[in-house]
Amino acid sequence: MTQLAANPQSAPSSGRGLVRDALLIASALLMALTLYLVYFWAPTEQNLGVSQRIFYFHVPLGWIGMVSIIIVAIASLLHLITGRQRWDDLAYSTAELGVIYASLILVTGAIWAKPVWGVWWAWDPKLTTTLVLWFIYVAYLMIRAYGPMGGQGRRFASVIALIGAIDAPIIYMASIWWRTAHPALNIGPAADESEAIGSSEIYITLLVSVIAFTVMYIALLTERYALRKSESDLDELHQRMA
Amino acid sequence: MTNFTREWHSGAALRLTLLAALISLALIAWSLLSGAEAISPAQQSGDPEANLPFLFAVFIITWAAFFVYVFYVSRKQREMQAEIEALKRALEERDEQPTEQD
Repeated sequence: MTQLAANPQSAPSSGRGLVRDALLIASALLMALTLYLVYFWAPTEQNLGVSQRIFYFHVPLGWIGMVSIIIVAIASLLHLITGRQRWDDLAYSTAELGVIYASLILVTGAIWAKPVWGVWWAWDPKLTTTLVLWFIYVAYLMIRAYGPMGGQGRRFASVIALIGAIDAPIIYMASIWWRTAHPALNIGPAADESEAIGSSEIYITLLVSVIAFTVMYIALLTERYALRKSESDLDELHQRMA
Repeated sequence: MTNFTREWHSGAALRLTLLAALISLALIAWSLLSGAEAISPAQQSGDPEANLPFLFAVFIITWAAFFVYVFYVSRKQREMQAEIEALKRALEERDEQPTEQD
């Protein structure tokens, strides 16, 4: 992983490099702890059986997938206001990670649904709005890949991100606003207390899992952002060579 | 990339985005109009370990995705770093040339 920190503007020996290394080590340790808790410590839920343990992966992925589009939108807005490249770099890096997380939400959700609902997919509001989130990420990346070059393409993509961010609260509130087969909210400000997780072991495992996935997300985002800066450096050097 | 191909790509991307947005809206409308009937959970076999393959599938897919992504970022960073170094050397050589001639 030290190869990843090879950006000339932030060499591994610098403070930024140390922070990145610390994030990677912290995420590795937290992930090891999470795996121990998921497989050896948390009890098996009586109704759902062992498939309930999928939640320890699915819930953090879902949470981060939603948070990502908010970060993309905020960074895009700041880019539109200030015109600074670094905000666009952050938006692009976050969107690329966001599409991975959104894909994993859909895949892990389908794998959970099959043994519990008996179907891989249902046109449930929560699932459908999550699929829309995936479309939004793909649209953003497609605009960046095939849209107009330079500032215009960045502005188009920023507008998509701003519109797309509306989907995040809709996904979160879907199980409250509409009749849905999806389980009730477990985390966040609107978490349903009547549906609270009974076992403290399950709750602690879920909490540690959310923290571990979040730290890993920050570590990955830091690496991707450094790569994006390298891409900008390379573009600048190519322009100087021309 | 010529102006024509750039414009075509730009138009195609916008058309595809619009199409994706329309499909998304249609899917939301469908899911809401159909009332999102509650799906009754499949009968559990009684064996709590029965769905173990599903759990391992989630585990493997999640970690495979992250490892592939980290590998991709790592390799791209390495390639880019090598290209940056080569370009920097080329620029330095080009800048030094007039000095040597003097």
